[in-house]
Amino acid sequence: MSSVKAPFLHSGTRTSSMATWALSALLIPGAIYSMLYPSPFIFQLIGYALLGGLAEGLYHLIVRRKLKFNPMGSALTAALIAASVPPSMPFLPMLYAILIAIWIVKLPMVGLSLRFNAAMVGRLFLMQVYPGSIVAWGTPTPDVISTATPQELYRSEGFALELPQLLFDRIEGVWEELFLLVPGSPGETFPVLLLLLGGLLCYRGIIAWRAPVAFLLSFAIASAAFGDSVLFNLFSSATIFSAAFIVSDPVSTPMSKGGKIGVGILIGVSNAVIRHTTYYTEAIVYAVLLGNLFSPLLDRTAFMLRGRRLNQRLSQPHWAG
Amino acid sequence: MLRRIKIDWADLPNFHPLETPFPAPERIYPGLEEITPESFPDFLNEIGLVGMGGSGFPASEKLRAGIGAHTLVINGVECEPGITIDQTVLLHHALWVQAGANASAKAIGAKRVILAVKDHPAQMVPLQKLYPDYDIVPFPDRYPTGAEKLILKKLTGNMPAPGIRPYQLGYIVQNVVSLRAIGRAMIDGFPVVERPLTLAAPASRFYKNTIVPIGLSVREILAAFDLLYDPARQLIVGGGLMMGCEMALDDLIEKTTTSLLLLDRAPLKKKERNCIRCGACNTACPLDLHPYSLVERIQKGKTHSTAFQAQMTECFLCGVCSAVCPSDIPLVQTLTEGKKCLP
Ligand code: SF4
Ligand code: SF4
Repeated sequence: MSSVKAPFLHSGTRTSSMATWALSALLIPGAIYSMLYPSPFIFQLIGYALLGGLAEGLYHLIVRRKLKFNPMGSALTAALIAASVPPSMPFLPMLYAILIAIWIVKLPMVGLSLRFNAAMVGRLFLMQVYPGSIVAWGTPTPDVISTATPQELYRSEGFALELPQLLFDRIEGVWEELFLLVPGSPGETFPVLLLLLGGLLCYRGIIAWRAPVAFLLSFAIASAAFGDSVLFNLFSSATIFSAAFIVSDPVSTPMSKGGKIGVGILIGVSNAVIRHTTYYTEAIVYAVLLGNLFSPLLDRTAFMLRGRRLNQRLSQPHWAG
Repeated sequence: MLRRIKIDWADLPNFHPLETPFPAPERIYPGLEEITPESFPDFLNEIGLVGMGGSGFPASEKLRAGIGAHTLVINGVECEPGITIDQTVLLHHALWVQAGANASAKAIGAKRVILAVKDHPAQMVPLQKLYPDYDIVPFPDRYPTGAEKLILKKLTGNMPAPGIRPYQLGYIVQNVVSLRAIGRAMIDGFPVVERPLTLAAPASRFYKNTIVPIGLSVREILAAFDLLYDPARQLIVGGGLMMGCEMALDDLIEKTTTSLLLLDRAPLKKKERNCIRCGACNTACPLDLHPYSLVERIQKGKTHSTAFQAQMTECFLCGVCSAVCPSDIPLVQTLTEGKKCLP
């Protein structure tokens, strides 16, 4: 009989259910998207998630690791990729992106302190190799056009959306008679809903609030400093989506409280800088990968600083009787 | 996110019954005038008192070091979740506790006595009635507020520096049960021969606070309360859920056994998985340490940096980090090993 050691109590979430929670949260905007703009997107999302799980299963069969097999994490990665690109993305590029994300980035890096956000790497791959498809204003159904982002509309046409349109995302503007424009990738379409879901995940203890909150705040402040519209930037493109699902990813962001805030600021500011100075509307991908790169360093710094603070306290004067 | 650790079977906001085999005292031993800083530590040695909150530190030494401290803190903040013995003793044995506290305060020359209790609004009124002379300070009902360090943090407003003993700050912190034992010895002439403890078998919803003779075996206690024990399915834990350890049937009750718990084995069998770097351990650590970073360094043998040593010294192995880890990594076990790396 193996001896059990203290503590004899566990509290909070277990890893096995974390990815399931996040995935279920992601399915909600997916389902609403499918209902609002009649599109089979939700089935696509589920299909890709299954594909992700399958990819992890294959990896386990072939590479054989001692890891506990829990395909939910990979399913979530695949679903995140699917939700962050236009639904018109063809199957083959998606398959490549998912396999790259899971087989090259996610699973081999388990246990390392430097880890990249697999979904973002998958998206980077799509951006680099299939740049046409990622901004393709494809037509999920004949009379619906999916645009890359309102950000892009704004960049290329000087066409800025009004706030209510951004929040509830049904563009009723110049093109309305012709087409129903659906801004952004499906996952990014309902910022208010995503904000609520992010809050729910925080409340349930699935994600930690520090990194996303620091990200949103620093991004807003940096955008304001550059003279860009804060609300427009916050509620357009993948900002809220990333806060809820990408920046909050535990594995690729620091563990320490200070590190989490640091990485949030790093991602937020660099996102604002890239958006402001270049025409990359997918700035967030680079910003997140940059943040991932710095995570181990941030953790180490936080650890050192904590030690230094403790040592300083040693030399504090204290009551001497 | 850090939440209160909820223990449904012990989360009783109202009064806890206490079973005691003898009547409560009726008068205070009139020997209070005879107490002097010189004689009192010897008296404590004579009755064999050790820190009954679980530390087991000889009470006489603690008291002798604390002579001159300005405040005596009665620690009634239960350290471990799910145990209510401190609160129960406070409510039911007020006279003994007071006798012990007054004597200790007199011996060290403390001007002020603080009663630190858990923040249960329902208990505040009776406590104020029972202890009108003391300052009652409520502490949040969250593990591990009852630790000496954290009590001092709240009272002084600053985290005491590592290695600083409370008396160096002018405080002396005594557990309720220790003070009760002093009172018991002063009033009734009993040395430390009995131990109030919480006895619980959550699976069968059995929950009791009682007083048992020290030196009784676990087997005898279980028999006395008709508790059935199945070694294959159950586990006896002595001393609390977070910092306690497994006990065998023939182990004896010691002065420091704060509780006896009969737990189911099944939910405790957790297989360790890879760290997902979620930082739950960092967020939960009451001292703001970096548990997994410490563990990583211990495993790699990188234990010589000052940052590591400072944090390792500070950690008091409370086990919160292990309890919240979603990957069920036994962090605190590695940290216990890590303590050995300290010079
Ligand atoms: S045991 Fe863990 S939670 Fe407790 S003080 Fe040490 S590092 Fe912090
Ligand atoms: S709580 Fe567990 S999984 Fe999370 S960072 Fe700490 S050790 Fe890793």
